[in-house]
Amino acid sequence: MIHISDDIIIRTLARILVPFIQLYALYVIMHGHYSPGGGFQGGVILGASMVLLLITHGYGETKVRFSERGAVIFSSIGLLIYSGIGTLCLVFFGNFLDYGKLSTLLQVVPAHARSLGILGVELGVGFAVMAVMFSIFFDISTSGELPVDE
Amino acid sequence: MTTFFLGIGVGLCILVFFVLYRVVFGPGIFNRVAAISAIGTKTLVILLIIGYLYDRIDMFVDISMVYALLNFIGTLAVAKYLEMEGERK
Repeated sequence: MIHISDDIIIRTLARILVPFIQLYALYVIMHGHYSPGGGFQGGVILGASMVLLLITHGYGETKVRFSERGAVIFSSIGLLIYSGIGTLCLVFFGNFLDYGKLSTLLQVVPAHARSLGILGVELGVGFAVMAVMFSIFFDISTSGELPVDE
Repeated sequence: MTTFFLGIGVGLCILVFFVLYRVVFGPGIFNRVAAISAIGTKTLVILLIIGYLYDRIDMFVDISMVYALLNFIGTLAVAKYLEMEGERK
């Protein structure tokens, strides 16, 4: 499943398509509070681009860009961003994830602070979902054993 | 024009069930894979028609693009899996 594909059409198509998929995923994350989508959906698209890279170019080329170790680090960072913003609102005497209270920290009006807070939380969710999607696919396709380098 | 698109949408929804028959009973894996891919494509068009009917076409284009993308990756993953495992009953 994670060996390099021997079909040049598939490999070229994936190489051309992956940057656009990632750009589109960032668009979905950034416009999460105006249009359908958000952190989870954008993260899934971002993870799908990694999965596409993995099934077309194999583990050897993918691990240069995104490895198992990177998945662990990214999922932890995403969770840290999410819970960090939530706890920061607790520090400013609000409820958990009550972004309006961040206005004193960010020096903006509460409405703008809410927008920025949602954006930050969605970035965290996107990172975590991307890493976990990649990790799930990787673990299922290798049954937990790390493949030999090709 | 709205009635026209509504008719097209309902017709596509009915056609999905014909393709679903191929997914459930179709002999062999490849018929099923092709049928699942066809259902994905039909869903994409149905989503766009719903978007037109609700006058929110700019929102529904986003969703249908994601659908097309994941459909492509899913078909590719199944093909790669079959290449590795071989077709089994």
